[in-house]
Amino acid sequence: MRAGARYHDGRTAAVHDVDVFISPGAVTILERETSDVISVWDKAKVYPVYSSEGHLRIGTEEMSSGARLIFTGRHVDAVRAALPALARHRMMRKRQQMRIAGFGTLALVSVVAGYIFGIPLLAERLVAAMPPEWEEQVGETVADQIEVSFAGSEGGVFERCDPDPDSLANRAIRRFTDEVMSQGSTPFRVDVAVMRSDIPNAIALPGGQVYYFSALLEETRTADEFAGVLAHELGHVEHRHGMEQLISTAGTGALIGFILGDLTGASVAAGIGSAMIDTRFSREAEREADRFSAAAAGRLGYNPAAFADLLDRVSQEDGYGSAFALLSTHPLTTERRETLQALAEEENEATAPFTKSEWRAIRAMCSTGSDAP
Amino acid sequence: MRADQIEFKGSRRGLAAILLRGYALMVVTLGFYRFWLVTQKRRYYWAHTHIDGDALEYTGNAVQLLVGFLLAVAIFVPLWGLFFYLSTQGSEATLLGYAGAGVVLWFLTGYAIFRARDFRLSRTLWRGIRFDLEGNAWGYAFRRFFWSILLVVTLGLIYPLMAADLWRYRYNNTWWGDQRFLMRGRARNLAGPYFACYAIVAVFVLGMIGVLEGVLSNRAQMSDEALGELVFAGGGCLLFLWLVVGIYRAIEISRMASSISIGNIRLRLKLHWGDLLILQIQFAVALALAYAVLAFGGYVVLGTVAPAAFADGFDPARLAVALQNSYLVLLAIVFGYLLVLATFTLCVDLFLAMGFWMLIASSLRVGGAAHMSSVKARPEDGALAGEGLADALNVGAY
Repeated sequence: MRAGARYHDGRTAAVHDVDVFISPGAVTILERETSDVISVWDKAKVYPVYSSEGHLRIGTEEMSSGARLIFTGRHVDAVRAALPALARHRMMRKRQQMRIAGFGTLALVSVVAGYIFGIPLLAERLVAAMPPEWEEQVGETVADQIEVSFAGSEGGVFERCDPDPDSLANRAIRRFTDEVMSQGSTPFRVDVAVMRSDIPNAIALPGGQVYYFSALLEETRTADEFAGVLAHELGHVEHRHGMEQLISTAGTGALIGFILGDLTGASVAAGIGSAMIDTRFSREAEREADRFSAAAAGRLGYNPAAFADLLDRVSQEDGYGSAFALLSTHPLTTERRETLQALAEEENEATAPFTKSEWRAIRAMCSTGSDAP
Repeated sequence: MRADQIEFKGSRRGLAAILLRGYALMVVTLGFYRFWLVTQKRRYYWAHTHIDGDALEYTGNAVQLLVGFLLAVAIFVPLWGLFFYLSTQGSEATLLGYAGAGVVLWFLTGYAIFRARDFRLSRTLWRGIRFDLEGNAWGYAFRRFFWSILLVVTLGLIYPLMAADLWRYRYNNTWWGDQRFLMRGRARNLAGPYFACYAIVAVFVLGMIGVLEGVLSNRAQMSDEALGELVFAGGGCLLFLWLVVGIYRAIEISRMASSISIGNIRLRLKLHWGDLLILQIQFAVALALAYAVLAFGGYVVLGTVAPAAFADGFDPARLAVALQNSYLVLLAIVFGYLLVLATFTLCVDLFLAMGFWMLIASSLRVGGAAHMSSVKARPEDGALAGEGLADALNVGAY
């Protein structure tokens, strides 16, 4: 067959108007005005190049990469039909690309799976190998950041309710802390501080610092509930969960940056994504902390399931509490209460964790004169 | 069609089809498909842009981009490690780390911009002849970095020199076959409009700061209405300044591009600021409409899977509870989040990016292309492996 075309030889920028003859073996290209043969292409070695609608652009493996024949309009279908190599080449390339994309995706899936299951394990190992001084340093940094964010958002200072370390309440808390930790092996100097804050929560930082927020203390009705929360947070300290969490969050952020292709990791998506994935990891940690608390309960004489009562109450009364729990720490499930209850069955001959006057003093720590109970 | 015209034959519909299909495949492949999507997008732009009757051709492929990305990862992993270590070393070290990372990224961005430009040019054919970019990407990064320090030190007064220098470095190193681009634009071509805009912006900013200080010191005596009017006026001023910056941008691009020649070819670009403004308005309207539709869809879907959250007025806390108890709700929210993200990039691609490309195509004249048939090709530039850093830093459109 014969068709008119535009021809670029790939060596100069000259545009040739040509006639193309497609015979059973070859594609012959003739200058239209002079009918000189400019080039002959092997029919089996032509390939198609992406072009706009109504155009057909082809190259050949035999020549420099810029050599092109461009057909337009009515010639396009006829040329396609006369050159089966075009369709063949196209299919081959498509399969090749699909293979690469497919294998790449599989590799990515296995990397993601490795991350999700491997990072918590890896974080645990890394934390075990990490010098405690370093973790204390990290803890101070985190405490500074928390202080800045609280002071900023509430327009006030982030401070201890009762700064006197020798007050009745603080001494009672320290005694309880020492007793709980006496069975553990933590390298840290553990410090529990009751802090003024509107958020009903308690947190354990890396390096042994535990914060119990005043809003949670207001919700806390019994000494058992208070002891349960504290022992639970001390469980996080014992298992160094804060540091584990930090490492795995960094790891997940990196992974999500990798997937989204934004390696600066500054995207909002990375933050939200890593928070969602990390909830799984932190639930494992919660169970460990629950077991630690239940073990201490047997020795110190409180009911660890009272802790679940408090969590339920906080999440129901305060919408913020549940939203907060969603993204960070405590999974509020009935399953968990049952587990705690079962762990508590074995106790307990010991006396109560706090005396009546101690508990009254603790309750009053954050009250200012007028609204004291 | 006149011989010196550039014609863009693509359409929003054509590109949207490619993008939507690409987004769907990106979800399935955990984002891995993006290298293919970028390649298809470029092919579409290039193949639909006809200069003097011949379309551009993009010869790059997705695997090259993938390799580049992996190389960038290799650079970034130790940086992450360092950054993580610093962030554990106390607040000052963390701040220092952030500042350091910011400076390093700012520097690397210059390198990435140049490399990405090199990648695209060396994979662009017109009339069978390849474009290319010479010059040194690190050199460009240093230039841009030190100019930007001077820019800060001089409160922006040095900008015309910086802009002209960087434009010249980019274009005087650009080749088409054996023809080097020649750029004659100088800082004095920019100085007039730049300093006029600079003066307007400075007056307004200083005025706004003065008013703001007055408001802060007399807060007590001000009525809410007067305050509202002031906020309204401030918003108006910011919009006006946005317009001024847009006008300057149009002038800079027009004057610089119009000073470029390639052998016998002269470029002439008349970009009108009004057209740039229309682009942005189109984008804003499209995005607002799309988000309104999404919000309604989200309301319907969440109302179906988590009716409790809408029982009497919307309550995020009850939605959060529903989210914890139901994978369906979680799925709906993750999907909704992806939709919001995709809608945004779709609007950017279709209205800002494509609009700008179409605007340049319709305002650019290429005189003398017919006399360029003796331009010769140069050998392949095989040294480039992708544009990984640009991809990683998310610079470079199209």
